[in-house]
Amino acid sequence: MVLTHTTNHAYAHPLPTVTLAFFLRYCSPQLNPFAAHVLSTDTISTHVDEATGRLHTTRIHLKKSRMPPSIMKLLPTSLTGGGGVDKASYILETSVVDMREGWMSTESRNLNFVGVLSVVERQLYTAATGPANPSPAAGNENTNVATTVVFRSRLGERIRDRLGHHQNQTQHLQLPSHAHQLAPTATDAAQQEPGSGWFARLGARGIQRSIESLASTKTQDQLGKSREGMRMILERLRQSGIIGVLELRKMARERSAEAA
Amino acid sequence: MSQSLAKKCNEVKERYDTCFLKWYSEKYLRGIGAVDNNECSALFKEYSSCLQVALKERGIDKLLEDAREDNKENDADLSP
Repeated sequence: MVLTHTTNHAYAHPLPTVTLAFFLRYCSPQLNPFAAHVLSTDTISTHVDEATGRLHTTRIHLKKSRMPPSIMKLLPTSLTGGGGVDKASYILETSVVDMREGWMSTESRNLNFVGVLSVVERQLYTAATGPANPSPAAGNENTNVATTVVFRSRLGERIRDRLGHHQNQTQHLQLPSHAHQLAPTATDAAQQEPGSGWFARLGARGIQRSIESLASTKTQDQLGKSREGMRMILERLRQSGIIGVLELRKMARERSAEAA
Repeated sequence: MSQSLAKKCNEVKERYDTCFLKWYSEKYLRGIGAVDNNECSALFKEYSSCLQVALKERGIDKLLEDAREDNKENDADLSP
């Protein structure tokens, strides 16, 4: 089961600024109100390849769960952790920047819940070239972004990460009675092959397909918001430059520290 | 940037992020100086050793391993 969603978009900003905005996009909810669901952002690794001059960066984001309530309803509470709507997801983001060739390539994927739904978003940012702008890296005003999102539900299939069990040892605590009838326990359900247990009764394939299409609809909405957030950061960079943005971020941080 | 996953890493993360963003915008993007971001590497080392502990405590190191395995299977390549 795989569902793919592809979109193209252009920013009226040069590629270097757009790549900077990409790194800054979760910097603070004051600078990007569309990033209020991002709880944390950390850099795991970063290096420049000496041969190619490419910057490779790996980051991990913690986001409030984007798993829509409609999907949560399809799943037994034992799988969603009871109050599953508030559940947070870890997102692994890898990016490569090549300023010589004029592109940035990114990939984001969820690290937990992969058993229910795996979402892999890939983006390719390129300096817009046309007859007037033959050189890809030199001073183009527009940046094109091609986004591909692949949704895959492997619910009921045997996989390594059983629904984020690494961190959620306690998630089968509050099991309402109707969920009991559907799923004996979270682990049992996840380990069962399709064709047995509640997957057979509900139709694992059907559920997988529903999850993928619900997530796809939700993501199209989310992509719009993520573009809005990028646009706000880009506007800030145009107005006040990176130093100005760093100042704003610092002030916002101090204000929120005072309020806390 | 937003907060770090681990509160205790916030301060060093903040210093590293600021260093990285300055280096990235003022040097890397302009092709100035050595390609490597050495000027932030001491900060990154400090930040990273704090973060690694937090990743382990939350079991994220295990999730990362799994993701790398999946990547191998899918033969993921970030080159366009």
